[in-house]
Amino acid sequence: MRQRIPLIAGCIAVVLLAIFPLVYGRADYDYVMHMWITAFFYAILASSWALLAGYAGQFSFGHMAFMAVGAYTAGLFNNYLYFTSEATNTCLEIAVGSWWLVVLDPIGVSAEPFTCLDAARQAWNSEVVVTKPSLWFGILFGIIVGGVFGWLVGRLVLRLRSAYLALFTLGFSEILRAVISAEIQVTRGQAGLELDPLFPAGISLFGTAFSAADKLPTYYVMMALFLVCLATMTALERSRFGLFVRSIREDEDAAAALGVDTVHYKVLVFVVTSMIAAAAGAVQAHYIGIITPNIFIILQMALVVAMAVVGGLESIAAAAVGAVVIYFVLEFLRNSFTIGSVTIDMTTWRLVFFGALVMVTLRFQRNGLLHPLIEWCTRAGVADETVAKRVAGAATDGATEAEQ
Amino acid sequence: MIDLRVNGIEKWFGGLHVLKDVGFRVAGPELIGLIGPNGAGKTTLTNVLDGAIKPTSGTVYLNGARIDHLPPYRVARAGLGRTFQVTRAFRRMTVLENLFVPALAISPGSTQRDFRGKASEILEFLTIDHLRNEYGRALSGGQQKLLELGRLLMLNPDIVILDEPFAGVHPRLMEIIYRYIARLNEDGKAIILISHQMESIFTLCHRLLVLNYGDLIADGDPETVKNDPAVIEAYLGEDEDMSGTGTPERTERRDA
Repeated sequence: MRQRIPLIAGCIAVVLLAIFPLVYGRADYDYVMHMWITAFFYAILASSWALLAGYAGQFSFGHMAFMAVGAYTAGLFNNYLYFTSEATNTCLEIAVGSWWLVVLDPIGVSAEPFTCLDAARQAWNSEVVVTKPSLWFGILFGIIVGGVFGWLVGRLVLRLRSAYLALFTLGFSEILRAVISAEIQVTRGQAGLELDPLFPAGISLFGTAFSAADKLPTYYVMMALFLVCLATMTALERSRFGLFVRSIREDEDAAAALGVDTVHYKVLVFVVTSMIAAAAGAVQAHYIGIITPNIFIILQMALVVAMAVVGGLESIAAAAVGAVVIYFVLEFLRNSFTIGSVTIDMTTWRLVFFGALVMVTLRFQRNGLLHPLIEWCTRAGVADETVAKRVAGAATDGATEAEQ
Repeated sequence: MIDLRVNGIEKWFGGLHVLKDVGFRVAGPELIGLIGPNGAGKTTLTNVLDGAIKPTSGTVYLNGARIDHLPPYRVARAGLGRTFQVTRAFRRMTVLENLFVPALAISPGSTQRDFRGKASEILEFLTIDHLRNEYGRALSGGQQKLLELGRLLMLNPDIVILDEPFAGVHPRLMEIIYRYIARLNEDGKAIILISHQMESIFTLCHRLLVLNYGDLIADGDPETVKNDPAVIEAYLGEDEDMSGTGTPERTERRDA
């Protein structure tokens, strides 16, 4: 029974999360919805980083960069690609059936950029149709590009371990951030690249029409993405993939000597986790509506690492729960409080609290605060079984010796 | 029919000439002892044979296929398995999971369930069945050695290289390892046994290879090798006797 507790608790949590937006009715509804959407976002990142670092032993500090690859790919797709019914003759374009796929010139940082498409519009009559490709294709494209970057980085770090791997991936992340910051004309740098909301024309759910600004549809999208990612990673963890990446983490040379294609699985784990991070980034970018290079500063990466560490690095589910808990705790700690005549400004001190929690976890509970609990459940009876078998074995040996 | 041909293997590490024109052949289920003083190049030769390091020159053929340019996982799948001098159990994986790694690696499309029976049989043979669900780190040093041997049985290679299987092992576990080696040999496997335990080497092996500073200075039956003046001089010194049970040194440079 104890072994089933995590599964039962997980199922109950999913049901509660599914009905929560429908039953919660307080005035801070939008704020709470926003918190949950962002918590799901971090849960995806922390759990996928746990798969990469905790399971496969690849301590990458470039995970948020893969998230940003997804976000920026979706953002550029959303800003630069259009379908038109006539050729613009001013933009880069290719014919797709009876339509033209148009790629805009760099949009720059002006508030109202005048693009090659605007120039073409002036020459067109009102019957020319201009439309954007579905942003879901942009998200899909972001996931694929994230995977390509994951493959590239995975290949490059094959021979690197521990601190060298961490530093290399940190370097990759910073280079990418510098490039995005520098290419202002294309990415708008710190001015921020704006994206359409996930449902620009609104959507009807449960017989109710929701506008583009309503958070409930996005809540379900992000929750679904979280559950799909979690299910995918859990399935992988229980497959030969999970067995092999753990053996690589334990001893790469020994795994190779036992027939494990270590190169293949090391690259594959980078590809899979990069795609998951990119998916989270692409969806979150459309939800937030604007992205800047600050979305993957080192502090953000540290936050994801801390979430996974506090939850439990060697459990995908524990890292996800850790992310949700840490995110909510950090949010609640924004409120300042007063002790006697002293007012403590928690906007500053909450980060101190958070840092202390990470240090205490690493010092006293290296496997995280939640993972041991899951282990306690899933490994129930193992010790008893070991002792029982040993006793039975000893009894058999004794009987055999007596017969002799 | 097992056929390992090692031809003219040379290995340089910078200015260090570690293996010098090493060549020998293993034909059929032989039980061969590979001996030599520390730094002789035994582990380097093992690493060359299993693909962990590439030779500077020379070739290795296993059952007619050249394997010296292959990565270790392909050498393992081709039929050459090894253990390590310093035990390398997967410490944060259970004993059963340790055994499933090689089994699944050589059997695409299979699942853990397919190998539960075989794993149980092996664990019972090695007398560590009661530890099947324990993590590798919970096992004693000797038990971890047995686990490493169990993984090789799951890999089921044609040729097995055992690097110091008796080092630091309790006599009772040594008996189990003796039985293990006998079983492998009965199953038609060729075994290359690296050990400083001369008694074990002379008890078990039908043929000895002696390395000294990268040179293969002797290759023959134990009686001949034992009385070879060059071997006595190089390996044990003039005053020593090769029938002893001495274990001159238990530690060795890991990648030497």
